[in-house]
Amino acid sequence: MKKTGLLFFPAFDWALSETHPEREERLLYTQEQLLEEGIMDLPQIRQYQPGMAAVNDILLTQGVLPHPNEHDLDPHRIAAGSALVLGQAWATGQIANGFALVRPPGHHSGATVWDNRGFCTLNNEAILVNFLRSQYGYKKIAIVDTDVHHGDGTQDIFYHDPNILFISVHQDGRTLFPGTGFTREKGGPNAWDSVLNIPLPPGVGDDGYHYILENWVLPRLEKFNPEVIINSAGQDNHFSDPLASMNVTAQGYAKITDLLKPDLAVLEGGYSIEGALPYVNMAIILALAGLDYRYVRESVKPTRPQLNFSTFKHYCEELKSLNVQARPSWLMKDAPFLPTGKWYHVPRSIYYDTTGFQEICYDWIRQCSHCGGVVLLDSQHAGTHQRAAVIRIPFEACSVCVQTGYDLFETLAGHRDSVLLQDQPSGRSKIWHLDKGVEEY
Amino acid sequence: MSIHVGIDMGGTFTDAVAFRGTQLLGKAKVPTQSDHLLDTILSALEELGIQNPEEVTRINVSTTLVTNAILQNQLPSVDLFLFPGHGLDLRSFIWPVSYRRLAGEIDYRGREVQPPDELEWHRLAQCLNSDCNPRKIAIVGKFSHRNKEHEERLGAFLQNHCSPEAIAFGHRWGQANFYRRSLTTYLNLATSNLFEQFSVNLQSALGLRGYLAQVYILRADGGLVALQKLRPVESIYSGPAASMLGALAQNQPERGYLVIDIGGTTTDIGLILGDKPLLSTKGAQIGAFSTLIRTLAVRSVPVGSDTAVMFGDTLQLSNQRSGPAYCFGGPQPTPTDAMCYLGLVDFGDSTRAAEGLAMLLPVEQRDPANLRWLAEEILALMADEIGKAAEDLDREWHEEPAFKIWEVIHRSAAMHLHAWASGGAAQGLVPALNKRLRIPVYIGKHPEVSTAIGTALARPTFSTTLHLDTYYRQYCIEETGEQGQWTGSRRAQTEVAPFLQKLAETQAQDIEINSQEVIYEPFDFYPIIQGFETVGQIIRGAIHIPPGVMGRVTE
Repeated sequence: MKKTGLLFFPAFDWALSETHPEREERLLYTQEQLLEEGIMDLPQIRQYQPGMAAVNDILLTQGVLPHPNEHDLDPHRIAAGSALVLGQAWATGQIANGFALVRPPGHHSGATVWDNRGFCTLNNEAILVNFLRSQYGYKKIAIVDTDVHHGDGTQDIFYHDPNILFISVHQDGRTLFPGTGFTREKGGPNAWDSVLNIPLPPGVGDDGYHYILENWVLPRLEKFNPEVIINSAGQDNHFSDPLASMNVTAQGYAKITDLLKPDLAVLEGGYSIEGALPYVNMAIILALAGLDYRYVRESVKPTRPQLNFSTFKHYCEELKSLNVQARPSWLMKDAPFLPTGKWYHVPRSIYYDTTGFQEICYDWIRQCSHCGGVVLLDSQHAGTHQRAAVIRIPFEACSVCVQTGYDLFETLAGHRDSVLLQDQPSGRSKIWHLDKGVEEY
Repeated sequence: MSIHVGIDMGGTFTDAVAFRGTQLLGKAKVPTQSDHLLDTILSALEELGIQNPEEVTRINVSTTLVTNAILQNQLPSVDLFLFPGHGLDLRSFIWPVSYRRLAGEIDYRGREVQPPDELEWHRLAQCLNSDCNPRKIAIVGKFSHRNKEHEERLGAFLQNHCSPEAIAFGHRWGQANFYRRSLTTYLNLATSNLFEQFSVNLQSALGLRGYLAQVYILRADGGLVALQKLRPVESIYSGPAASMLGALAQNQPERGYLVIDIGGTTTDIGLILGDKPLLSTKGAQIGAFSTLIRTLAVRSVPVGSDTAVMFGDTLQLSNQRSGPAYCFGGPQPTPTDAMCYLGLVDFGDSTRAAEGLAMLLPVEQRDPANLRWLAEEILALMADEIGKAAEDLDREWHEEPAFKIWEVIHRSAAMHLHAWASGGAAQGLVPALNKRLRIPVYIGKHPEVSTAIGTALARPTFSTTLHLDTYYRQYCIEETGEQGQWTGSRRAQTEVAPFLQKLAETQAQDIEINSQEVIYEPFDFYPIIQGFETVGQIIRGAIHIPPGVMGRVTE
């Protein structure tokens, strides 16, 4: 019998600030619960020790700008590294599935990282996905984000990647951070329909959530037929979560896990640290391990108004038709520094809520019918005016896109504060930096 | 200077040594009479030939009494009553004993979620009174280590309604893990009469022979506790712990090494890292019982120098001892015979060793070349079993959890640059171990009594681990299960250290706390936030004298 891998890393010596939701206390009661229930003694569970993600594993996926040395990445590298430990255990057949019960979280951290955003600095799942691709040759991977917040960082990282299916089920961006994740966001020009956003109205409980999974998420997954399913297992859909307004119970979360059957799950948000986390984490672990979770019950009862189920079904029908109707509309543009080819141009601005500043980013995507297309992220920190570029040669890139990526690196080095080249097919990355010159990873 | 005696009871032999300070005065070895452990102790003492018993101030014992009683299933029955509340299905674990579940639930902060059902208690009492035998009753609640109220209320109720023989509470074992706490409480109650009797008999027998010494018992984690203060079940697996302490007492402080103690029936493998024996992150497992008993991370493989060797389709070690080695007149060939035949040890009758080994071979193959091959093969097989256990131990170390960034960043790699072997036959296994482990293997001057040396030189230990919730004004002590009221402030940074110091002093009372040995673990503070305000703290911290030795053996 293959076991369920469990990596519990509560980062008891790390907080964003004393009273911040992302604080030492967050997994304290979960620890008490897991220890008292003897979860680590279960023959179905195998415990793993935290690891630390290598800089290259990070840079292959995310541009940490202007240079990784300018950030305190230790806690984030351990969270990401822990996901990799389980990824390795899974890929080498040691475990049937695994749960990285770690903090800090990661799914708001995108392709370019100037600072912490939505409590996240490094994107644990995205780094895991690219690790599985570069180390073990997996090609088609699906990420299902069941955190109540839109997984905007993960979406950003894979928006132009046709080989990764990203599905996010979340509370509507009009009523919750980060304010994105509308159903018309369906992927970049070379990767249209590789992103599925399902924004839900406040008040959805177990029935509604399971309905969405069974009638939309699972069929979509089946159609994509991924080799690996990764779950961004946020727990803030819980009825007691202080930051969101949903109505899911611990039992509901266990069933979500049972329905999705993720190969690897990674904890994201969830800030009802007393009312939800000790129970929801238990429920998820038991569901992954195939154990009876029926007796897991919160000590408090739901008090929020429940959304009427028939109203909800009606909402879903409308949302589905909106999703089907959504059509791509892209702008093509040229710039003097771009190598030959046709380039899509997507200007964006990203707000960093933790310290409060804007990033201005211009995404350039090379039109390509052979691969996902080389991507240039030309980014500026609006507070400090530092400029940095990230060039991504995607997995499975065609030879023209590979060459284009290297050409771009040559052109831009010297014209930004730093330039990062992510050569995903070869698993290598290199940075040119104003003060440090070129460093290869 | 006074004399300290160490007595280690093994499965085959019981070893005793006497020390004045760190100077070895004498050693003795007697066969273990597993049905008469008290007699065995007394004869080992006699064999030591101590002239003036009144000079002996301390007798340290590692005994197999409780271990054997549990493993041989000689335990009286205990009624186990549980308050499991919600959560994991109890049937997710294998329960080696039956239990009865009762209504009532406490949560992880010690808050009552559901009160107990007194009507249910009345029905229970009726049922217990229906037969007249006085009962031993163990009561264990989930999260009772955070709030003992349900346990104590049921205890008082049953005391009034059923006059039981004894009642034991789970919260006295103050560590988390409901399943293990239940079984530990059960085992401790079930072994208490046996141990009590042994303890009384031992003390009176010693008194009759003029010994005034305090008797200490070695625990599975290498801790040393006065006989009167020991909880019976804590005496399990003291033998392997003694081996590790024996290694400590005979080695200079070094970064890390593997310890291999080769007994007649089993071999214990442990790890010393930074002059400390590696502790297991899980409690001891004994037979079908998972317990909360802290234990060293030791692998015991059922292979020793007297293990019978068989040769069916393949060469096999039987995992059993059927008597002494063939070269000592035993019934079957053993690794000892292989060592004797190869001239690796200077004991045993080498002609008989050759005879014994030859029994394993077909008549036409009984020539010196084949015998030599066979002997080497037997030792390689034994070394391989030990090697596998050592690798397993490394894995345990590698999979040890970490909960803080600091721990991950400062994690030192498990390094053992050499192995240290003990046990009477250790010398004979050195070449095979060397080959299998690919590191140098060393042996001390007294390999045959190494564990007894560890027992004799073990230092008394204590440990007080505090869990304080300043919001609910509750504290608990892991080691004793003590729970009490916190009267200090909600932010207790400055108050908590003297508070813990006082608790530790009370607990350590009769141990001379040599301030150099005491370790103050840094406190962990977890602010408790409600809304965006800090309303209290959960504080964890500990003071202890960790397991170790009084000093290194001087020659």
